[in-house]
Amino acid sequence: MKMGSFLLLVVLAFGLVLNVSANAEVDVLYAWKTSLVDPNNVLQSWNASLANPCTWFHITCTSDNSVTRIDLGDANLSGPLIPQLGQLPNLMYLELFDNNISGAIPSTLGNLTNLVSLDLFLNRLSGSIPSSLGNLPRLRFLRLNNNSLSGSIPESLTTIATLQVLDLSSNNLTGDIPINGSFAFFTPASFQNNPGLKPQKFPPPPPMFQIAPTPSAEGPSSP
Amino acid sequence: MVLSSRTFCAHVIIINFLLLLSCNMVYGTPTDIFCLESIKKSLEDPYGYLNSSWDFNNNTEGFICRFTGVECWHPDENKVLNLKLSNMGLKGQFPRAIQNCSSLTGLDLSINKLSGTIPTDINHILEYVTTLDLSSNDFSGTIPVGLANCSYLNSLKLDQNQLTGQIPGQFSTLSRLKVFTVTNNLLTGQIPNLRNISADSYANNPGLCGSPLPACQAPPSKSNSAVIAEAAVSEFIVCHVN
Repeated sequence: MKMGSFLLLVVLAFGLVLNVSANAEVDVLYAWKTSLVDPNNVLQSWNASLANPCTWFHITCTSDNSVTRIDLGDANLSGPLIPQLGQLPNLMYLELFDNNISGAIPSTLGNLTNLVSLDLFLNRLSGSIPSSLGNLPRLRFLRLNNNSLSGSIPESLTTIATLQVLDLSSNNLTGDIPINGSFAFFTPASFQNNPGLKPQKFPPPPPMFQIAPTPSAEGPSSP
Repeated sequence: MVLSSRTFCAHVIIINFLLLLSCNMVYGTPTDIFCLESIKKSLEDPYGYLNSSWDFNNNTEGFICRFTGVECWHPDENKVLNLKLSNMGLKGQFPRAIQNCSSLTGLDLSINKLSGTIPTDINHILEYVTTLDLSSNDFSGTIPVGLANCSYLNSLKLDQNQLTGQIPGQFSTLSRLKVFTVTNNLLTGQIPNLRNISADSYANNPGLCGSPLPACQAPPSKSNSAVIAEAAVSEFIVCHVN
């Protein structure tokens, strides 16, 4: 009988712990983990029963235990990016470069208003670049090169005033290359190796400024 | 047709060489390392800023990205995006070796002691530059026309130097130029038609004229007799008014 009540206590305690760990960011990241193939076991520390993900490897948090960085570059991961990844409100750095990640870039990533760096380069992503990424007001680094992205480059990206480094090279993008807004700073290197992209156009130069005749040139006319 | 073993070997060597070359072209790393090594060699570095940080012995992937003043396209790839070497007391001529940093878009050499001329073939050296700051140095000579072919220029700062001659009229073709300053130089002549560049950008160049500065004065061409006639006429008018 003592053993029974002891076991009951253990079960109750366990249940209590599980209830406490109902953290939204844990749920998002754990759901993502289950959709991924992780041959190197880099996500081994991602334990769903913890109160927050802040002790997980490759995760960095704020002082309030909210995720600011996901650093999983060069981790041999396969699988998709799930839409729930857009529900990490304090995420600043999403570093997933050099993996085997496939499928589309979820448009929900446009909800990550604190995002400073979106590095999805060197993967197998397909589909278009979501125009919702134009809603990222703090984005400085947008590196999507070396994927199989298709469709056109969204005009909305030209409205991101903070954009410093853009690399869309080595994809299957088509259409025109915007040259307005923040895109005035980007050169062919940002777009190369996209056979369907039309080369950037330069507007025709204004007419050469002529020296205007000045009134004082001849002096007052003689009578 | 059967290839002799020698010809076959030659073909293999050629193919391997081409593959090696193409790999370098895709990742662009050896030229960027050579670029920075050459720049370091060509400049005097009296305060040792480059000497202390630019160490080429530890050749790991992306190692140059950790150098002072170097910003890379990607963190683990030796491909230079911007070079920011402002206020380092650097001496010497304009480092032409920058041409080897073929993916460079930003160059800041401001507040140094660089001298000599700005290379006339600068559009080959910095073909894709978007931001170029050479201000507060000792550059002399003229502003090269070649800069007008740096079509991606958004910002060009040449102020506080000893540049002479005119601002090339062809600068009006720089469709992306938003910031342009040449204050405190020795420039003369007509300012070209540049959108959205205010008079402040041209200040302290005694010989510069034309919009947005006051118009250029035509050189005086009156003969002595014309001057006397004018003077007589104005006296006549004055007397009659009185």
